[in-house]
Amino acid sequence: MDVNEASNAEVRFNKVDVEFTGQPKEYFGIWIVNIMLSIVTLGIYSAWATVRNKNYLYGHTKIDGHAFSYLAKPLQILKGRIFALILFASYAVLTHFYPITILPFILLFIVLFPWLIVKGLAFRLRMTSYRNVRFDFLGTYKETFVTFILFPLVGFFTIYLAMPWALKKIDEYVLSNTSYGQKQVTTYIETSKYYLTVLLTVLVGIVAVVAVMAFMFASAAMDFSTFFGFNVRVDAVFIVVYLPLLLLIKSIYKVRIRNHIFNSSEFSDLAEFKSDMRIVPYTLLQLTNVLAIVCSLGLAYPWAEIRTARYLAFSTQARLNEHADTVLDTMSERQSAFGDEAADAFDIDISAI
Amino acid sequence: MKQQLRGTYYFPASNRSQLAKLLVNGDSVNLYSEQQCIFATDTCQLSVASAIPGVAVEVTFADGGKFVAEDRSVRLSLGSVRAERLEKSNKLILASILLVPLLLWFGITVVMPKLAAASVDYLPDSVAQQMGEQTFYALKKTILEPSQLEKEVQLRVVQQWQQALEQLGLPKEKFQLHVFKSDYFGANALALPDGTVVITDELLRLLAEKPDAILAILLHEIGHVQRKHSIRMVAQSLSNTIAISVVFGDIEGLGEVIVGTGAALVQNAFSRNMEREADDFALQKLAELGKPATAFAEAMQSFLAIQERDNKDSDKQETSLIQYLTTHPDIKERIEKAIQYGK
Repeated sequence: MDVNEASNAEVRFNKVDVEFTGQPKEYFGIWIVNIMLSIVTLGIYSAWATVRNKNYLYGHTKIDGHAFSYLAKPLQILKGRIFALILFASYAVLTHFYPITILPFILLFIVLFPWLIVKGLAFRLRMTSYRNVRFDFLGTYKETFVTFILFPLVGFFTIYLAMPWALKKIDEYVLSNTSYGQKQVTTYIETSKYYLTVLLTVLVGIVAVVAVMAFMFASAAMDFSTFFGFNVRVDAVFIVVYLPLLLLIKSIYKVRIRNHIFNSSEFSDLAEFKSDMRIVPYTLLQLTNVLAIVCSLGLAYPWAEIRTARYLAFSTQARLNEHADTVLDTMSERQSAFGDEAADAFDIDISAI
Repeated sequence: MKQQLRGTYYFPASNRSQLAKLLVNGDSVNLYSEQQCIFATDTCQLSVASAIPGVAVEVTFADGGKFVAEDRSVRLSLGSVRAERLEKSNKLILASILLVPLLLWFGITVVMPKLAAASVDYLPDSVAQQMGEQTFYALKKTILEPSQLEKEVQLRVVQQWQQALEQLGLPKEKFQLHVFKSDYFGANALALPDGTVVITDELLRLLAEKPDAILAILLHEIGHVQRKHSIRMVAQSLSNTIAISVVFGDIEGLGEVIVGTGAALVQNAFSRNMEREADDFALQKLAELGKPATAFAEAMQSFLAIQERDNKDSDKQETSLIQYLTTHPDIKERIEKAIQYGK
């Protein structure tokens, strides 16, 4: 009852809206016109295209009515892309024409890989801001080498028995080194959740293999080819059985792990999150996305992106400290996009969320 | 020129924010909150992000502060709206839907092959040399095993080959023939970019009674070398990969797959064209040697016989022979052509 109580009491959190307000039609226009301009300018405009697409998606992702911002500048991206292209082209040319040089490249790649990850994550986070405060990644080369190369190797040499543990270590490492201004993420994710989730995907995988086999036998017995005049067995199996099951397995992992990560990570005293994605709706979303993209020869891609973003926002809740106006932006230096672009060129995709 | 915008002001270097009104009057820019001026600057001290359809105007001040408009459709006359106008133009969107696939198709089927073919001429011979040697080395380490045929049989084939080369005025040192056993290749022959020619035991056994057919197949293989096919193929798949990654810098996941599939289909068509070119080369050289063009037809017929035999006890594992055939034009078509050539 005394005046001090307010400061001693637990921090009060308010539930705030998480929303995604992008419109498929609007985004489609931006997307297709930018692809067109990229082709016409022989790829130079693609840096502008990236920035504009990202700006649209970030600008429509809002927590508590405040949108995220994408801060990277097109020229930064273009420079990064040119460097990455030179690296990638020399890799591709050398390994194509001189097959044996692939060995030193693999070694070089192992050495470079953690560096690419650190640079890529740092760039992505530093170019993201919310309420004028930037995110950051604090990981180092050494820790990244251990987490992204040694731990998965342990997983591999234990006939994958330790792999769920390695996956958890990776997520934990990325999360706990993520910061918003001077606030760092605290995470309590548990190894047991990863084991349970992987076990579930394996069980569904076994069911999937049995189902595909059964389908093959059934269709062989009925002999579809006599109905259609040609052999549709393989395609039918792919669309009816294989694809949904594959997406289901991916969704099980994504949904359970994302929920777990959001529910057990926080910016202490600042923000807490909750995620309640569900496996079946998410699988159906992914399945319809894939079918739409394939049937439209890729034109449905922006629509799929918007739907996914909407679903993710819809399944996320945030609670903010009502006195959250105290986060300071601690960064000012310029950042090269090279790591991020190089990581993209070599198909490394790392994102915990 | 006066403009007034309602929105949110974000203080520099912190997440503090305040509802505010931005007033632009000529060169001077002022921010008001509850009738009080909280920030004053001029137009040289700020930057306005290039407008994007459906995204609110964002003004960044020199000190790191930021103003975001509330209404998503209003635009400041200070900022650029050129790109936005393009992205909102229904005509351009429609044109893009038609042009993007067309341009991609044109690029992958016409421009890229031309570029690849032209660039191959600039590659030094040492590239083909190295490529061949390294591939040969890798093959010997992995899927080629020493031949199990008798020495005489091997010698006879090599001698026949060298004799043919001599008659045709082709360099013997370049097109050296090697005999290997290979479960992976099955009945097959191949030529590496540097001219090294490999024939498998199984193919020799298959065509034991038909030395002219063997010759026809080997000539077909060196036809690929003479026309620099494998280097052109590599150059093309390479330039496609690079071009696609340049244009679609940010296409992820499935988009990539679709573009990739398109490129693969073109690649297949491209390789069928190459097979035809190599066939023509073989037929022409057979004629120069005074051998009947039917030798080529004979070789194809032996393949066909095996294919049909395998089809009969179908649902068996695909033989490597079928593998060989899938990238080659329809075998019957090739036999027809050889017979036509003979006439």
